[in-house]
Amino acid sequence: MATRLRPPLLDWPMLCAAGMLLLIGLATVYSATTVPGAHQGLWTKQLVWLVLALGAAWVAARFHYRAHDPLAYPLYGLSLVLLVLVLAVGTSAFGAQRWLDLGPVRFQPSEIAKIATVFVLARRLSHPQLDLTRFRYWFPPLLIALVPFALVAKEPDLGTSLAFPVILIAMYYWAGMPVGNLLLGLSPAATLVVAFVLSPRQAPFWVLVGVALVGLLAVLRPRRLLLVTALVLNVGVGLAMPRVKDHLHDYQLRRIETFLNPDQDPQGAGYQIIQSRIAIGSGGLLGKGWLKGTQKALSFLPMRHTDFIFAVLGEERGLIGALTVVLLYGLIILRGYRLAAVARNGFASLMAVGLVSGLFYHVVVNILMTIGWAPVTGLPLPLLSYGGTALIVNCVQLGLLQNVALRRQEY
Amino acid sequence: MRSSSPARRDRERRFAALAALTLAGFALMVLGLLRLQVAEHQRYRQLSEENRVRLEVLRAPRGEIVDRNGQLLADSYPSFNIVFRPMPAESTERARAAVRPEWLQRVSALVEADTTVVRQLVRVANRSGKTAVLRRNAPSAVLAAVEESRGELPGLEVVVEPLRRYPHGTLAAHLLGYAGEINDRELAARADEGYRAGDLIGRTGVERSFEGILRGRDGAEYVVVNAMGQRVSTLTEVPPRPPVPGRRLVLTLDLKVQRALEEVMGGVRRGAAVAIDPRDGGILGMVSRPAYDPNEFSHGLTWARWKEISGGGSNPLLDRAIQGLYPPGSTFKIVTMIAALRSGIVRPETQLRPCTGSYAFGGRSFGCWKRSGHGSLDLVSAIQHSCDVYFYQLGLRLGLPRLEATARALGLGGRTGVDLPQESGGLMPSAAWYDRRWGGGRWRKGVLLNLAIGQGEILATPLQLALVAAEASVDGRALRPHVVRRLGDGPPREPERPVQTGVAADAAVWEALHRGLQRAVDTGTGTAARVPGIAVAGKTGTAQNPHGEDHALFVCYAPADHPTIALAFVVENSGHGGTVAAPLAGQTLRRLFLPDSLQRRVPVAAAHADTAEVVRGD
Repeated sequence: MATRLRPPLLDWPMLCAAGMLLLIGLATVYSATTVPGAHQGLWTKQLVWLVLALGAAWVAARFHYRAHDPLAYPLYGLSLVLLVLVLAVGTSAFGAQRWLDLGPVRFQPSEIAKIATVFVLARRLSHPQLDLTRFRYWFPPLLIALVPFALVAKEPDLGTSLAFPVILIAMYYWAGMPVGNLLLGLSPAATLVVAFVLSPRQAPFWVLVGVALVGLLAVLRPRRLLLVTALVLNVGVGLAMPRVKDHLHDYQLRRIETFLNPDQDPQGAGYQIIQSRIAIGSGGLLGKGWLKGTQKALSFLPMRHTDFIFAVLGEERGLIGALTVVLLYGLIILRGYRLAAVARNGFASLMAVGLVSGLFYHVVVNILMTIGWAPVTGLPLPLLSYGGTALIVNCVQLGLLQNVALRRQEY
Repeated sequence: MRSSSPARRDRERRFAALAALTLAGFALMVLGLLRLQVAEHQRYRQLSEENRVRLEVLRAPRGEIVDRNGQLLADSYPSFNIVFRPMPAESTERARAAVRPEWLQRVSALVEADTTVVRQLVRVANRSGKTAVLRRNAPSAVLAAVEESRGELPGLEVVVEPLRRYPHGTLAAHLLGYAGEINDRELAARADEGYRAGDLIGRTGVERSFEGILRGRDGAEYVVVNAMGQRVSTLTEVPPRPPVPGRRLVLTLDLKVQRALEEVMGGVRRGAAVAIDPRDGGILGMVSRPAYDPNEFSHGLTWARWKEISGGGSNPLLDRAIQGLYPPGSTFKIVTMIAALRSGIVRPETQLRPCTGSYAFGGRSFGCWKRSGHGSLDLVSAIQHSCDVYFYQLGLRLGLPRLEATARALGLGGRTGVDLPQESGGLMPSAAWYDRRWGGGRWRKGVLLNLAIGQGEILATPLQLALVAAEASVDGRALRPHVVRRLGDGPPREPERPVQTGVAADAAVWEALHRGLQRAVDTGTGTAARVPGIAVAGKTGTAQNPHGEDHALFVCYAPADHPTIALAFVVENSGHGGTVAAPLAGQTLRRLFLPDSLQRRVPVAAAHADTAEVVRGD
């Protein structure tokens, strides 16, 4: 079962890019946690995590992905149980329950759930008779992704939870779902968001939703059943929303608003954004130099070693450093999608797309957050941020991608 | 791999789409980085070097509280605090310079405080990086002096903060409650409601139970400051968010009624008075003595003053109207009478064994308050003269379950559900309660005699007593006492459903009750509550108190045929209901129902002469 590693077949560019990112990450975490304060010296812990993560990555690459196959459903079930446990007994930080305490270590089951969900979805969507216009094929994957999505969103961790729909959509697309159907399926969700932001009691809402929907339907010309379902769902959401809103208490509404848009609260997330922007902007072209950042030293930058690690990097290494990291991520992601395109096995190809899309989502949302172009949602930056669970899971994801690379010629 | 089957081509097309999406996402990041690190670099470098951005919280004022006619009971006004803002950590020389003796001297003189106090505050501020308040609510003369010399005194600043004001001082202090600075425990418990250190939070009364309405939402703005720590401009990247003031609260309280109660209770050392509108259960007035001035809490109490207010024997913070527990005494005869009539064991004209001044039961003699005895009485006369012997006999015939059921149906023995915090529920003993207390079956039927006249273990709050009077006045309809009539500019709130069931009984039952209570005021034990031209129905009560003199009680409603107000008075350790509490009710009703010219006080001697015979009790 265990095949020997054959170096030539590894995806070397991806491997090198990941290695460089890990080194940059360690150096940045070192810099962020050498300043006096609550997190001083945490980088040594990160070093231990890194060794463990590399071991886990090797295991993930070493054994044939088919050997992981029987683990898919048990792992998925386990991760759901853990997510429920988090809600019941989890440790909270920053107003959300995200961690499970296991004696000396705390870990975040949502990270594990992501890999498990990709596994299960890849199995489902690589079915030989797959026909994504039929209910029995497209519905189960939807359910599989929505359950962990809902559990993680309940923590509440909107940022991480949205990774599940992103992964699902990418894999649907990769499995051959027509783009039109994908958009039609997404339309009730879009209506929901629009209905929350604009009041459905006003004409602009119905004009906007109506035009978008009719346009979509005119282009697609779906079957009658689908057409009626889409219409009913969209109009239903639009009609129900004001009623739901009326029944919510003031504080519940406020909570949802902060949930959707955390930087509305200028003393909390808004403060982080402006400090993060000052840090990055003041870095300029070349940066202030490693260990020489001033914003991080003054503790003006909270969560500097986790969610806002990119701000520390931008301040100390400047545009050159920031662009290098961005390009390295770009390389990994494009190589990952390319791998999916050339892999002959359907399961492996889908798995690659799911893993890479999750990574892509994390990188884009985190970096845009640090420059103030995306809401503060509490997402770590893969491979760079401090955090054991995330580091191990990200390395395992990269190990699995190498696993696919090693066996890309197998059917 | 070079095959160009349709499936292969589709896959390549989809790969191209994903790659394009990836490139778009990364282009966005690159664009953002270019803008921040190249285009706007100079600006951010400047901000970073001088740490010149500061977050300023714009405090939202709490909502107003007004009475049912819109008369102001509590509002917020801008006050000015003189604060010291610590310097950025980089400019520590300046921070050190700030604490130089000369600076200290001048600042201490300005804020009129001791130099050692100011030095300590400034030290803590510099160490923690948090702003220190040197003087709260500074008068304008001090402010002008600070503004003049601010340029030479780095770190000194004037900050506006809304302050809570209760224009009537102690009036309705317990009902309104007060707001104080949030403490660490509350902060931890209510973290996700957006509270922050330094916020005000309602501690008692309406301020507490309607915290969510009264509290606004703080705003914030980022300001750019100069090297002296003085404000230059607002940061444009993050638009300031204006504070949202708290909403207005309209109470059921009527300032006129409240004033009357406050004045009448002016001479009472410890006690309470409650006025309820029997038409809807709205509380018209509520007084607890001793009182405190909630304005003191707005300005910040010294530790010594807090101990003085919160501790001690009389405890002014205790709201005796909803937290004080008293035996209802003879006012409870209203309940016993209703229970007896509705269960059909007697009729209004039924005569029981004549009163000889005492009643023998179980080898013991139970006295009537009138030692010479009342002779033969029917039920209506018995309540008019508050004959204990008649009610002993009623109690024995009724039995505990029926008496208890009626008392509970009228709202005794449990919280009334008034929209005020920390209400006490009182105590209405049941057979099970006695079993628990004395052991199963180890208590005598004799307890019923005491219960029937409101002595023994029964305890009720003045609010419950007023509630019973109000419900009796509207023929047993259950009422939900409440103090809030309207939230913000919304429509009047429907009172919530009453907790208790109320009592359904024949019209004859109520007619007899009204007649008896009216006669009690006209020619019975409560004549001190008489008001010319207005039919008043009431009941006196004297609660025996093992720790000292009796508590005086009185409940009433008026006008008896179409009641618009029900009242309860409790005066601790003062004597008899008829001589101490009933006159208070009389004065209140005269103030409310008679024009000013007729509010001549009935000479005390006359009032006493009227009731000469019953003065000693009821």
